[in-house]
Amino acid sequence: MKHFVLSFSFLFAVLFTSATYSQIKSDEKLVYASSYNMSGLMTQLAQVTLSTETVKTSKTSYLHLSCEAATYSKWDSFFKIRDLYESYVNRLSLKPSLYKRSIDEGGFRKTEKYIIKGNLVTSTSKRKNKPETTKTFSIGASTQDVVSLLYKLRTLDFNKMTIGQTKSYVIVFDEVQIPVTIKYMGKEKVNAGNLGEKECFKLSIAAKTDALKGKDKNIIWLTADAKKIPALIKFSIPVGVGQLALASATGI
Amino acid sequence: MRKIFFILSILFTVLGIFTTILPLGSIAFLPIGLAIVFGLLTLLKSDINQTMIPKIALIICGVCSLYVFGKILFIKDEVVHDTNFEQTKIETKKEAKKDLENLEGL
Repeated sequence: MKHFVLSFSFLFAVLFTSATYSQIKSDEKLVYASSYNMSGLMTQLAQVTLSTETVKTSKTSYLHLSCEAATYSKWDSFFKIRDLYESYVNRLSLKPSLYKRSIDEGGFRKTEKYIIKGNLVTSTSKRKNKPETTKTFSIGASTQDVVSLLYKLRTLDFNKMTIGQTKSYVIVFDEVQIPVTIKYMGKEKVNAGNLGEKECFKLSIAAKTDALKGKDKNIIWLTADAKKIPALIKFSIPVGVGQLALASATGI
Repeated sequence: MRKIFFILSILFTVLGIFTTILPLGSIAFLPIGLAIVFGLLTLLKSDINQTMIPKIALIICGVCSLYVFGKILFIKDEVVHDTNFEQTKIETKKEAKKDLENLEGL
């Protein structure tokens, strides 16, 4: 009987947790058109692809979250971007074990790797024509990386949130922990590429960093359904404003 | 007044050529349009023997707008298959798997 209760509790816990995070599926692919505001007009600059897949090791399996950015061919001769952000996370908790970043922006190259074991991070960083540096530092138990945070947001139940309500997170970026606040701003209808016009949860993102500018100028719209697909992302950075508009969503 | 219109038309024509070469899409129409306006104003204020340069500027603007219009119509926004980037992705994934195996062994 004791075994039955224990097994049942375990099964219930697994099922309940799986149900909570079930919207993040493996083999999901979201393609965005990235535009940047130039002289008041949005100019298509790059394609951003968010994808997920299962990666199995000898002991366990991880969800590989990948975010890649590549400039359209017309821009490649002027300013070529090939960026890759990756996070290997626990399938249920979305807690990262490995975070990788490979930047190639107009000749500027940088690679970063964070191996996360509990609260300890071993980071390796390499810049073009510079020696590799290694650093060990500790992070909070709930600290995410920037990629896994985007997916973590999709597990929130916004129907239980009131307009103006905030949630706080901490991300690790450039070997520094940055507090991030998410504010729920209600619902709005937004064009979601091949999904058509969708009612979305509107969220404002604020981070204690110079990379993002303005109050309520960095907004993300997640479809107001169980999948919570990011349909539109608007950002304000020191050199201007831009947006990522969902072009296609497959495997959702 | 003619001098101001003339300088502005040349300035916007040069800017129009740059924005036409750069992949800025319809933004190029902004300097080209202004160059045409100032070019026409220069022509109106010019004597018969002063019209050659504004006319050349207007022809350049016309060619630029046709080129930009063609680019908008026929060149699609697409990412080319980048073998190096694909290779980087394969290698980084292999390395990641190794790192995760090592992490589990710790």
